Amino acid sequence: MASLFQYRWFQILLLVSFGPFVVRAVQFYFASTNAQVAEFLAATPDTFREFLSQQGLFVFLVVIMQSGLIADDRRTNALQLYLSKPLTRVEYVLGKLVPPLAFVLGVTLVPALVLLILQIVFAGSVTFLRANLFLLPAITLYSLIQALLSACAILALSSLSKSRRFVAVMYAGIVFFTAAMYQVLRAITGSRKWAVISPGEMLDVIATGIFRSRVEPAVPVYVAIVVVLVIVGVALVILERRIRAVEVVA
Amino acid sequence: MTDSPTAGQPVISTEHLSKWYGQVSGLNDVTVKVPPGITGLLGPNGAGKSTFMKLVTGQLKPSKGTIKILGEPIWGNPALYHRIGFCPEQDAFYERMTGLGWVTALVALNGLEPAEAEAAARRALEAVDLLDAAEKKIGAYSKGMRQRVKMAQALAHEPDVLILDEPLSGMDPLMRRKTIRLIREWGRAGKSVLVSSHILHEIESMTSNILLINNGRILAEGNVHQIRELIDTHPHSVFIRAEDPKALARALLVEDGVISMRFEPGAVSVETARPDAFYARLTEMAASGEAGVIDEVTSPDDNLQAVFKYLVKQ
Repeated sequence: MASLFQYRWFQILLLVSFGPFVVRAVQFYFASTNAQVAEFLAATPDTFREFLSQQGLFVFLVVIMQSGLIADDRRTNALQLYLSKPLTRVEYVLGKLVPPLAFVLGVTLVPALVLLILQIVFAGSVTFLRANLFLLPAITLYSLIQALLSACAILALSSLSKSRRFVAVMYAGIVFFTAAMYQVLRAITGSRKWAVISPGEMLDVIATGIFRSRVEPAVPVYVAIVVVLVIVGVALVILERRIRAVEVVA
Repeated sequence: MTDSPTAGQPVISTEHLSKWYGQVSGLNDVTVKVPPGITGLLGPNGAGKSTFMKLVTGQLKPSKGTIKILGEPIWGNPALYHRIGFCPEQDAFYERMTGLGWVTALVALNGLEPAEAEAAARRALEAVDLLDAAEKKIGAYSKGMRQRVKMAQALAHEPDVLILDEPLSGMDPLMRRKTIRLIREWGRAGKSVLVSSHILHEIESMTSNILLINNGRILAEGNVHQIRELIDTHPHSVFIRAEDPKALARALLVEDGVISMRFEPGAVSVETARPDAFYARLTEMAASGEAGVIDEVTSPDDNLQAVFKYLVKQ
C-alpha cells in the first residue's frame, strides 16, 4: 500500500477522486444558503446514493491498480516462501484484501461520511440527519458491499495469472463487457432483468434498497444480493484453489 | 511425547509417504528417519528431492502416508513453521527490493516487530557474507548472491531445522566453500540441516549422512561410501562460467584427471576423473585469481544418472 502512495499518478488519482465530493459540497453549501437553489439541489438520501454510484469510476481505477497483488507473488515465486513461514492461507488472503478494501473505502465511505457532516455544518442543524438516520448505516453498508465485491473479484482474478496486465485486462473486461452486454440484451429484449449479468448494475439495485430510493430497480433487491453473494463465493473458491505454495500442474 | 532433535529422536520421520501429481508419482512409499545434524539428500533432477522438501516444509499435502517434523505433523501446522527455515531452489524475489528489505519482510512473517525483523535480517545477511550488498536491489545481485540472500531469509529467524534445496547451485568456488563451511557450522551449533544436491562431492563435504533418492524412492541411506566409489568410476562434468575461459582452460589443462574440455560462450565445460582434486584446485584458483574471475560453477546432473542406473539394476 505504502509503495502505491509513492507514485505521483496515484496521488493525483486520489485527489481527482475527490472531485465529485467537492461538487457535492458546493451543492450543499448553496442549497443551505439559497432557498431557490435548495428547491432542486437540497440533499436527499438519493443524493448520497448517486454520489456513491458516481464514485464507481474511481472504485474501478483504484481496484484495477491492485491487479498484481497475487499475480506478482506467483510470478516471482514469493508465494512459496510466504507460505513456508508461519502464515496461513487465510491470513495471506486477508492481508491481500486490505489494500483494495482500504482504497475503495477511501474513495467511497470516507468522502460520503464527510459529505454528510458537511451537510450538517452548512445547514447549521441536524434536521436532515435526524430525518434520515438510516443514512449512516446505509452509506457504511453499501460502501462495504462495493469494497468487498471489488476486492474479492480482483484478488480472485489476480490469483489466476502471473501477469498483472492480463489481470487488469480481465477485470476491465468483466466490468465493461457485462455492462455493455446488459445494455445490448435490454435493447433487444426490452427486459431489464438482464441486469443480473452485470455486477455494476447489481450494486445499483442494492443501493436503491439500502438508500430506500424511489427509483424502480431492474430486479428485486434480494436477487441482486444473491448475485453479489455468488460472485464473492466464486471468488473465495478460486482463491482457496489457487493460493497454494506449490502449483501442481499435472 | 514429541520427538526433539536434542533427545536424539529423528528430526524428520516419514511412514509410507507418497505424493502423486495426478497420474505422475512424485514420491513413492518413502519410510525414512532423518537424525539430528546434517543430512544430504542426493539425487538427479526429477528424482523427487524437491517434492520431498516441499512435503517436509508443509507446502504439499501427502497423497498417502505421514510426515512428522520434530515429532509433530507438519501439514496444516503453521505454528511449526517457526522452527523451520526453507531455502527454495527457485528464485523467489521482488527484484526491485533490496536484499535487506526482502529478508526483513520475510522475517516479519514470523511475528517479529519491524525493528527486531530488521536486526534479525542484518544478522542473517552478515552470516552469509552479504551485509555489504544489503542495501542493493536484488535485481543487481549475481546468481551466488541470490542464493545467499535466499539462505539468509531461511536462517534469519533462527530455526531448529534448515531445509536447503540446492543451496550451492550457481555459486562461485569461494562462496561455495564459505557456504559449505557455514552449513557445517550450523550442524556443529546443534541445528539440523537437510540439504539437497545432485552432486555427491558437495554433499560429502558437508556430511557423510546421505539419503540417496531416485524416481521418488529412497535407494540408500546412511554413510554411503560405496556410492562414492561408484561415482568415482564415472567421469564428472563441471561447467564453469568465467571472465577469461581460455586462461582458465590453460591453467586447468595441466591438472591431473582432466579428461576433456569444451568451450561455450563465456564458459568452459570440463570433464574430470578426479572431482575432489579438481574442485579443490578450482577453489584455489578462484582465491588467487591466477586464471581471472570465476563467476559460476555448476555440475550437470547427468553425472549421477549412470550411477543410479547401475544401482537400480543392482
